[in-house]
Amino acid sequence: MRQHYKISFGALISMLLCFSMPSWGQEEEVLPSESEFKEPVERLWINTYGNIRISKRLFWDAQTHFRFEETENTPFVGQIGQIYNRHAIGYIYSKAFNVSLGGVLRINFNTDESSTDRKVVPEWRIWHQYQFALPLASVMTYHRFRIEHRWTQGFAENSEYIFRNRWRYMFRVKVPLNNHKFEPKTIYVSPEAELIWQSGKEVVASPLEDLRLTTTVGYILTPRLTVAAGMMYSQGQTLENGGIYKQSWTVRCHLYFSPDFRKVKNKLPAIHFDD
Amino acid sequence: MLDMRVTLPLQRIILLWLLSFPVLLSGQEKLQYSGPLQLGKFKGEAAYDYKLEGNDTILDGPFRMQRSSLQALLENEDASFSFSGNFENNYPDGFWSFLFGEFQSDSESQIVDYQYRVKISGIQNQAKGNIRQGRPDGLWEYLIQRIEDSEVAETLFKSAITFEGGVPQKSFRIENETSTLVGRFLRNGLAHDIWSLYSDSDSRTSENWYFNEGWLSKIEFEENGEVLVSQIYEEPTGSFKVLSLDSGYLQILKLKLQQADSLSFLSRGIPALLAENAANYKKIDNILSGLGRSAFLPEFKVKAEHFPLDSLETARMDAIKGLYQRSVAISEPLLNNTQLNILRRSDEQAQFLHAVVSAISSDFLQPLQQLVKYAELDVLEFVPRDQLISGLWPNGKPGTRIRIDSGEAGEAPKVFTGPNASQLQFGANNLQSAQDMARYASISLDSIAGVLNDKLVKDQRQQDFISLEEQMIAQVNELNKHIDSVSSLLPSDEREALSNIRALAERRLNQYSSLEENSAKIDYARASIACFTDLKSLSESISKGPERLEVIQEKYQDAVWNPFIATIMNEEVKKRITAAYRKVLLPYFLDKAKEDLNCDNAKALGDLMDSTYERLLELRDESTSKLERKLRKEQDPEMILQLFNLPATDKVN
Repeated sequence: MRQHYKISFGALISMLLCFSMPSWGQEEEVLPSESEFKEPVERLWINTYGNIRISKRLFWDAQTHFRFEETENTPFVGQIGQIYNRHAIGYIYSKAFNVSLGGVLRINFNTDESSTDRKVVPEWRIWHQYQFALPLASVMTYHRFRIEHRWTQGFAENSEYIFRNRWRYMFRVKVPLNNHKFEPKTIYVSPEAELIWQSGKEVVASPLEDLRLTTTVGYILTPRLTVAAGMMYSQGQTLENGGIYKQSWTVRCHLYFSPDFRKVKNKLPAIHFDD
Repeated sequence: MLDMRVTLPLQRIILLWLLSFPVLLSGQEKLQYSGPLQLGKFKGEAAYDYKLEGNDTILDGPFRMQRSSLQALLENEDASFSFSGNFENNYPDGFWSFLFGEFQSDSESQIVDYQYRVKISGIQNQAKGNIRQGRPDGLWEYLIQRIEDSEVAETLFKSAITFEGGVPQKSFRIENETSTLVGRFLRNGLAHDIWSLYSDSDSRTSENWYFNEGWLSKIEFEENGEVLVSQIYEEPTGSFKVLSLDSGYLQILKLKLQQADSLSFLSRGIPALLAENAANYKKIDNILSGLGRSAFLPEFKVKAEHFPLDSLETARMDAIKGLYQRSVAISEPLLNNTQLNILRRSDEQAQFLHAVVSAISSDFLQPLQQLVKYAELDVLEFVPRDQLISGLWPNGKPGTRIRIDSGEAGEAPKVFTGPNASQLQFGANNLQSAQDMARYASISLDSIAGVLNDKLVKDQRQQDFISLEEQMIAQVNELNKHIDSVSSLLPSDEREALSNIRALAERRLNQYSSLEENSAKIDYARASIACFTDLKSLSESISKGPERLEVIQEKYQDAVWNPFIATIMNEEVKKRITAAYRKVLLPYFLDKAKEDLNCDNAKALGDLMDSTYERLLELRDESTSKLERKLRKEQDPEMILQLFNLPATDKVN
């Protein structure tokens, strides 16, 4: 099994590299005999999540993330890594279920300090998401299925876009700490686990892109404004070599806001979705 | 020639026609009315002719008015009537017929000759005859019958009298169920010969009045099988006057007969039948005089001795009437005063004076009342004065000294003597002595009322104090109980405010008890009662504070969907308004209650707290963005109240 896998994987890689990514060089990647874990990278993400109500059932999902990475001299915040814009139109089916469909424009900065390639390249995605929110006693649980269709390119000059799909599932829990329910002035803790798989021609031996384990502590300022901060550990196979795993520790800071600019008279019945 | 003959008459006709124009215009046009009309208790449909003179309606021509309701008859009872006759220049004139009655029906109907027939039962009045210039003329019949199943069951009353221009003539006959009166008049209407009353049961006469040209010489009547004779005017001398045989004349007879053994016949027999007849004629007169001018009266004439009043006597009579009315206005309230009736049981003087008032009332005022009544009936001038006056006090006149027995054996009676008693003598039987008595009664009552009213006022005040004090104590107890029951549950500011209210009430009560008993103290008590009511209501407003704040905070919540938690959360809205209430107004109110409270501002403060709360509840649903902007940084409670559109706080200060 392993033999067969190895052969086909190597052949695939070589074929792909020959046809579509000549700039990646002629070297064939060889899987190590044991998985190798790279040194963890330290990162800081500052994320804003906007959820702007536009009608009784529709909302605009607007997220902007600023992702920093360590440099040799500065842990966590040494350099900008990505600026990430995620937008979608969401549909509230019920209190327990909503879906979103939209696009992402991510600006990737070249964080390889030694690289002479381009400093900045864009990355495009189309994404859709299906989220279930289920209360369990005073705790809220969430299942999030997110599928992304992603076009990326390397920093090298004239590098071509490659297309991959990402398959993401996240399970998250929010536990109120100083209250029996969620309301303003509630502090909650939110552990979450997300598994990100990828597929595509270029994905040969590394379908497990990322496993993210995060815990944040949040504080609800008002029903429309919440802040949270926490730490995330993640690991996943590198695309180049499925035997090599990247790791990271990320400090995450989140700002959640959900303004509602609708007229008062339109707002009134909107809270009962099942009406 | 031929042409002339034809044209001349035509010209004349045109000329006559033109000349007649002004005559037609000035002549009065007859108008007709047909529609609803109300005449005393009769209400129905009328049709009549009339003319207008200025703004006056002058009835002239046929008149007809009627009513009957089958529906009313079948449901319960119908008062139907039908009047018809004729007017001439507003006077009833010509043949008149009156029919009225009240009927019931058993609601059973039958069809006879293509008509529904319903049998009725009831009483029917019927009168008919001629009228000339508003007065009866010719034979008049008045008939009252009891109808049963549409048939006459019994004649209750019947009178047949012949008139000439309103003056009764010849013989007449008046009967009711039990007796019949027969008598006659001279041509001038004066009663003459024997008027006899026959009892229907044995057809014997039971009463005879002997008239001679209007003079009633004697009355014979039977009582218990015995015939009694009363002589009235046996041999009249001196001046006389012709008058109607009415209640006034009967009163004169009573006065003349007052020494006689029995007067009771004057309320039955002939007088009763005459009165019944007069009452029935009055019914017709009421109808006719409601429409036009009429004098529809029996007008039976009699003569009586005449003793005219001179001007001095007339003045005395007026004075007596005035003094009598004044005295009754004093004595009646005193005798009927429940407070005095209780007070006199414990107060000897009050008891004595009350008895004096009672004695004055029975010995002076009641006879004087009779005298006043005689004057009103105009009978004074038909009875000799001394006979009249002495008749008023058959047991002798009282003196100026009014003796009151103590009621206990062996104790001498107490005597009341009114002001000016020594100058008065009541001995003479004339109007002067009656006037003296009236004056004496009046001034005596004045002096007694002065004493008794003082006593009553004092007693009333005493009772007022007791009831006011009871009320005040109950109020303060109630207030303290309320404060005790709520204080432990309240924040300290509210608690302090309540204890200040309690202290104010106690101070007020202490102040009251240190006052001297006078009318100012009563006023103070009344003001305190009002004050305690206000303090109670203020303390309720204060103790409701935390509860109200909760209600407000609850009400100023908006349900908001939080998409990140996926839950609905309550959001506090219009925070500036609630904050102004919580942080500025409530402390302001409590400070007032703690430091600046008195009886004059307690009510205003309580009311302001209540209305502020009510206003807060209203503001939740109002558009307030402008107000909220103005509230930013506003810390002045008076300004905030103004922004909330609440009344000025002048009264609170």
